[in-house]
Amino acid sequence: MIWTAGTGFPSTGMLLAHGVGGRQDLPIPFAAALAGAVVALLVSFAALGYLWREPRLAGVAAYLRRPAWPLQLAGLIAAGYFCVGLLFGPDTPENPTAGVFYVLFWVGMVPLSLVFGPVWRHLNPLRTLHQAACALLRRDPARGWRPLPAGVGYWPAAAGLFAFVWLELVAPERATLPVISLWLALYAVAMLTGAAVYGSGWFDRGDTFEAYSTVVGSMAPIVRQDGRFAFRNPLDGMAGLPHAPGLPALIIVLLGSTMYDSVSNAPVWVRVVQESGLPAPLLGTLGLIVVIALVAAIFLVATTWAARLGQVSPRTVAIELAHSLVPIAVGYLVAHYFTLFLFEGQRTLARLSDPLDTGANWLGTADWTLQSLGATPAAIAMLQVTVIVLGHILGTALAHDRALTLFPHRTAVAGQVPLLTLMVIYTVLGLFLLFAA
Amino acid sequence: MKLFAALLAGAALLLTACGASSEATTYSGPAKEITVTIANRTVTPPPGRVEVAKGQQVKITVTSDVADEAHVHGYDKSAALAPGAPATIDFVADQDGLFEVETHESGLQLLQLAVQD
Repeated sequence: MIWTAGTGFPSTGMLLAHGVGGRQDLPIPFAAALAGAVVALLVSFAALGYLWREPRLAGVAAYLRRPAWPLQLAGLIAAGYFCVGLLFGPDTPENPTAGVFYVLFWVGMVPLSLVFGPVWRHLNPLRTLHQAACALLRRDPARGWRPLPAGVGYWPAAAGLFAFVWLELVAPERATLPVISLWLALYAVAMLTGAAVYGSGWFDRGDTFEAYSTVVGSMAPIVRQDGRFAFRNPLDGMAGLPHAPGLPALIIVLLGSTMYDSVSNAPVWVRVVQESGLPAPLLGTLGLIVVIALVAAIFLVATTWAARLGQVSPRTVAIELAHSLVPIAVGYLVAHYFTLFLFEGQRTLARLSDPLDTGANWLGTADWTLQSLGATPAAIAMLQVTVIVLGHILGTALAHDRALTLFPHRTAVAGQVPLLTLMVIYTVLGLFLLFAA
Repeated sequence: MKLFAALLAGAALLLTACGASSEATTYSGPAKEITVTIANRTVTPPPGRVEVAKGQQVKITVTSDVADEAHVHGYDKSAALAPGAPATIDFVADQDGLFEVETHESGLQLLQLAVQD
């Protein structure tokens, strides 16, 4: 992500958070992109003929527990600390707020959820506030005025995700406090209204960040069941992601928006935007919508084609196969944001000790200096290709397994051709963007 | 599943081979001189990537038709631009990565510096 510098700051602090003060990853070498693409193709062909012939994935869902109060308390304290910088800090690059919001919170949710599963439901301060308000009013938080219609599914979360990625990637002055405050205020009002109307179940699928954490957290290898921690095959976790309307949309917005972030950095795109004379936010919005629509169109064409071959309804195939995009989206997220998280995350932690920019060192991190932690361009490129190819392999395995249950036995192999084509297109597209943009 | 594991291992090997890194060297060649002109919000040459060796001296000369400030992100180097008068940002590209050079008032991207060994 590129955070544009705002105007009106003192010239010494002109630069707003901008990668590691503006550093972005070099394009990956062509050989690495090619190697990744070849591996992806080989895996896909091998999968078609030689993988398991009977469905194997059990679909072990993460057991959604009642939020644990120590985590809820931690979430409230962290949110309160965040608000110190947001409400009372100076609107300068030294303020940690933008870094906390876009890097530690948004990007950091990926590693947090990959390790601990759907954790945001425990930490989510809005859910906790709703629960506290219900306790004061002596109401059952789970019960709202009316039941949440089943057809709603993840659609509110997908819409909220689009609103967030638009803020993160397109909105003018998106690293400034008024813009972040306004967005968060609107978001909080929307979520608390949803919870008031439909009860706390609203947060499960209506809250963008809980849904995001649930989707990414379905890959977590550790789950808590019956009060004990247990290991789980991440494939089983993703296969156990509950189907709901809007799940494909949620994952496609996640993947498409991250790809748009790559596209928007390509010199070709920069040239088009600057030479058109049109306002950058307008073209950015269009670009974001077009890339997401393209990712969605590829998905819909492939699932409709597969549905025709397998004689199943296209809608069923789309919803049933959404989970196979999770590792692809997560792979691309990790590849795209790894160095931002590594470098800007360190900077943000250092600034976090002094949210009011008074020279304070509240957390003892103020004097941290940036560590490269072995992240050379070659190592970064290798990591990027590896996670994208791993995402492809996991996605292919998930699609393969689901196809075996979804399609009649005699069409199961033929029905997979469109799905594998879909995976290959996404993977090659992802590698191409890392190489060219 | 065995085949699957074998493929996974193969993929890892292949990718490791491609990621062989070269050691950092100190660059002792000529400075990279880049000239950019901004007229009527049009950047000439149009924004693109300029390859720079790590450790190389970089001189970016910018002429703008309006008062502005040119800035190299990441390196945090800037120069004030007076209308019609060329200004030069001169520095050593000692960290690798991709860095944008842009103007602050008009918000134009001038170029991207790709610094690598």
